[in-house]
Amino acid sequence: MSQRTRILVAVGALVVLAGVVLGIEALRASSSEPTLEPGSIPIYLDGKLVGGFIPDDLTTLEQVSFVDAEEGKTQEGWLLRDMLLLHVKESRLKPDTRILVTSTSRGKSVEITWAEVDDPANWVMFDFAGRGTLKLVSVLERLDVRDEWVQDVNKIEIEND
Amino acid sequence: MTSNTARGRYFSTFQLILLALFAVLIVVAKIALRLPLQLTGHSGIFWMAIVIVAVGVVPKTGTASLVGLTSGILAAFLGLGDLGALNTFLSYTMVGVGTDLVLFLLGRKPENLVIAMVAATFGHFSKFLVKWAMSALTGAPVGFVALSLVRAIIGYIVFGALGGLLGALTLRALRKAGFFSYLAEKK
Repeated sequence: MSQRTRILVAVGALVVLAGVVLGIEALRASSSEPTLEPGSIPIYLDGKLVGGFIPDDLTTLEQVSFVDAEEGKTQEGWLLRDMLLLHVKESRLKPDTRILVTSTSRGKSVEITWAEVDDPANWVMFDFAGRGTLKLVSVLERLDVRDEWVQDVNKIEIEND
Repeated sequence: MTSNTARGRYFSTFQLILLALFAVLIVVAKIALRLPLQLTGHSGIFWMAIVIVAVGVVPKTGTASLVGLTSGILAAFLGLGDLGALNTFLSYTMVGVGTDLVLFLLGRKPENLVIAMVAATFGHFSKFLVKWAMSALTGAPVGFVALSLVRAIIGYIVFGALGGLLGALTLRALRKAGFFSYLAEKK
């Protein structure tokens, strides 16, 4: 074997090793679930935990606001859309993908589609409730008055089927 | 009996002293030469240069491994590295073993720029493999995994190659300066 061939074999072996490392890491990343810090709101995609966030994480997102029709108050917060896209690739979300936002303590939940969440005119967003928890508000008909808002949100489930 | 042991030795006492000095130099360089670069594996630029120079000065199979092993023991006892003594010892040792393996396959010509670069890259990448494998096995957090694995791999390869280049150029300079003739007289 010539010197040149040996060098090429060595370089090839290096590339293969690097590829093996990256492949194993990709496999590990796809099979392991993220670790959430205490108090996080978990996000499940098709039953699998894909991420989570604490209310303070939202402050890194662009703030938006609208005036609610019921009380004429300004609701200020962060779009659910922007938050979801931090944890889920947009390609995994279809217009008819169902998103279930739940508050276990209040026994309330609302199901909305990705098309509704993705439409900025619907203002599907989180706002801070008085005690620092998050409430989901919107101008959507089934989420536009206080009784319909989901206060103390503690789980988000995304279902594609 | 005395001459028998002297002839049976693979490395002479003089060579062992030289290799121990190179091993110490690696550890000292690791402590003292901290470059203000936020790039993973950048220490390989001087680390691998020293290993390649050692291989050129003592041209025997196993030279790099012995330097790696000795520097690994020293570094482990000095508490270098952030993942424990075993990780430090293994990663330093594997730098030498990886370099030796490639030099054995390519022919022991560390003054050849390409061979030196390939051998040093392989040696430095062996260190990365040890750190990564230990992290995967023990679950210990490693900085480069958190930052970006691809960036870390590229860093280790590039700085390993640069270290090899620097080592080969140093060997050429030493030859021009007559260091090897001086060394032959000392033997």
